[in-house]
Amino acid sequence: MSSTVDDQGTTQALREEVAHLQERVRELERELVEVQAHANDAVAEWEERAYWLDRWHIDLNALMRYSGASRVRALLRAIRAPLRLARKAIRAMRA
Amino acid sequence: MSSRETTANGRPARTSVVIPVKDGERYLEELLDALARERPHEILVIDSGSHDRSREIARSAGVELLEIDPSDFGHGRTRNLGAERTSGELICFLTQDATPCSGWLQAYREAFTLDERVGAAYGPHLARPDTSPMIARELEEFFATFSPDGAPHVQRRGDATFLSNVNACYARACWQEIRFRDLPYSEDQAFGADLLSAGWSKVYHPGAAVLHAHDFGALAFMRRYFDEYRGLRASIGHVEPIGVRSAGDVRRLVGADVRWMSEQGYGAGERARWTGRSLVHHGGRKLFSALGSRSDALPATARRLLSAEGSDYKPVSAPGSAEQPDGRLLNVPSTHYPARTKAHEYQPIARILAGGAAPLSQAIPGMSERERLHLAFVIPPFSKGSGGHNIVFQLVHRFERAGHTCSIWIDDPFRQRRHEWPAFVRGSIREHFAPVHAPVHPDYANWYGADVVIATGWQTVYPVLGLANTRARAYLVNDHEPEFYPTSLESRWAAQTYRMGLYGVCGSPWLLKLYRETYGGEGECFDYGVDHRIYQPQAVERHPATVVYYCRSTTPRRAVALGVMALHELHKRRPDVRIVTFGERYPMDMPFPYEHVGVASAEQLSWLFSQGTVGLCLSMTNYSLIPQEMLACGMPCVDLQGASAESVFGADGPVELSPFEAVALAEHMERLLADLDLWERRSQAGIAFVAGRSWDRAAEQVEGALRNALRVRETRSAPLVR
Repeated sequence: MSSTVDDQGTTQALREEVAHLQERVRELERELVEVQAHANDAVAEWEERAYWLDRWHIDLNALMRYSGASRVRALLRAIRAPLRLARKAIRAMRA
Repeated sequence: MSSRETTANGRPARTSVVIPVKDGERYLEELLDALARERPHEILVIDSGSHDRSREIARSAGVELLEIDPSDFGHGRTRNLGAERTSGELICFLTQDATPCSGWLQAYREAFTLDERVGAAYGPHLARPDTSPMIARELEEFFATFSPDGAPHVQRRGDATFLSNVNACYARACWQEIRFRDLPYSEDQAFGADLLSAGWSKVYHPGAAVLHAHDFGALAFMRRYFDEYRGLRASIGHVEPIGVRSAGDVRRLVGADVRWMSEQGYGAGERARWTGRSLVHHGGRKLFSALGSRSDALPATARRLLSAEGSDYKPVSAPGSAEQPDGRLLNVPSTHYPARTKAHEYQPIARILAGGAAPLSQAIPGMSERERLHLAFVIPPFSKGSGGHNIVFQLVHRFERAGHTCSIWIDDPFRQRRHEWPAFVRGSIREHFAPVHAPVHPDYANWYGADVVIATGWQTVYPVLGLANTRARAYLVNDHEPEFYPTSLESRWAAQTYRMGLYGVCGSPWLLKLYRETYGGEGECFDYGVDHRIYQPQAVERHPATVVYYCRSTTPRRAVALGVMALHELHKRRPDVRIVTFGERYPMDMPFPYEHVGVASAEQLSWLFSQGTVGLCLSMTNYSLIPQEMLACGMPCVDLQGASAESVFGADGPVELSPFEAVALAEHMERLLADLDLWERRSQAGIAFVAGRSWDRAAEQVEGALRNALRVRETRSAPLVR
């Protein structure tokens, strides 16, 4: 009689374990769906922004690897600084 | 020491060095001094008519000197002679301007111990201090590719065939088996290719270095490249590409030189001077290389003038004189071609047929019922106006609206559309087909799995079978593609895709019947949709006698010649009928006057179909979207009798079905034009027929099929948790 009770207890425990595992699988599935959707969205968003770059075959990373590119950037920065100063001065004078 | 490095009695393998020389006094003394320090067993200098002190230098160095007539010289021939006149188990070849660095010979001895079948070894060419930056950089970068980690590397069949007699060493057994071909140039490249084809290996050893110089003026350099590429054409069949993109190549090379000079600490003035030289060097080289590899098309005088050696040699094999790798002459004209490593066209198919499909992921209970699925569509490259792609993108758009995650993977194994970058491709889909959100992937490098991966054409089935991390595979069958080909590999392989266990989602009952009954596949069918926002009768008066013909001559299944014959017959009977064609970019010659619309947008077509009286759209396989779109605009159309159209529209439905015959087609068009009651009945039946067909409904049907594909997996797989 006591062994039957034990068997029922074991079966019940196993059922609970299975239900728990099934719930865990569903949870992981939901997570996977979310992760894939986010990854997809991220790539799609990037492609949306890169349309014209891809259309014109412009690889900005490759372009900026040229030694001349950093010099052009430095030159632009150098030009920008006095321009900002001048703009600031004009605004101050107008005020 | 291993047995290849030493002889049976334990002494080092006997080494001979052969140096062909002509007017080589500049570096010869230095070279022989360096060789003396390396202590080979034997040094042979072969002089072919020097006018300088070369012979005197060789004699005073105490090395063996062999003098030959200049007319007897040949790069392959003379080296074969040198090998025959020496006795070493290892035979090294140097050019007169290549000075071995310390440890050179020991490195070669070591190279032959690295593999049982090493037939040859070679080492790097280091720039001399006065070498131009263009050459110095190229030497450095070129040899670095053979050994990124700085260690010796064994190269076998399928690897780079490069071998250079500026500095190389051969196992006598290998040389005896292969021998140098009697070529005016590039005999070493030919040997490298032949050696690998014959099952030998070769070794690149960074320790077997020489100092090497090519100090020529700009023009002399170009002419040498002409000779070199003429030799490459003769030895390995290489033809140097040249075109608009070559300007970009030259720009990149000059940029690389400038960067290299900066890294090496060249001053600004020197950099500027060498940048100009670099431009001339690379530009000239590109041009002369291209000319050299095409010199068979140049007149003999031009070949002589462009050659540094003044030779008018034409790089083609003379009939009956093709020398084979084993040195025998064939009695019939033939040319030897080495093995190529370039991927052949159908490698993905071969891979699947040989290795089988990638295993599917474990089935998860309830996966077919999950609200949101990840659906991956593998599509062939496309152009604007492609009906098959329109079906895919309309479905993707609806699936996304239903909350599913979709991704699009372009299968372009031949890289035909490599100039179309992914964001642009995605933009084109959105502009010409449907506003999909899905990202576009140009290949499978970033494949991250899916619930269902969907093949959309026969070629895509093979790569789909190779994709792992997916729970089910489905096949969107829009046509019976084996019929697109004559008896061929393609027709066989296309038919085979229907037997590969993918769950079929077929574009008509006719296709489903074929899929199930002929090929034993499992699947279901769906109804193509119509975009009712676009395709509807427009507020415009319908012309009383206009035939609108879908004339896609590039698609053989559209039976365009039959359509033209039918229209010709109709024109003879009813010269008043206006004929308008669309679907092809360019007009074609037709024996009657007509108007050509070209590849029109959906909106333009809806106006055209709303003004036309009768449509003509022929399909010899599955029906297409166009008859439905014509019907949606109230224009009845004529198609061919046959299983496909009848299985969809019925024998006496909205579409006038004609036998496969030009006169019969003309009669059916004429009947529809003349019989107003018939026209009205067909027109009304057409509008009623397409009313129930929408892309939303098609997407529901396809979604149901994809879920069934998952269900099949669930029921047939071992459960994850019992």
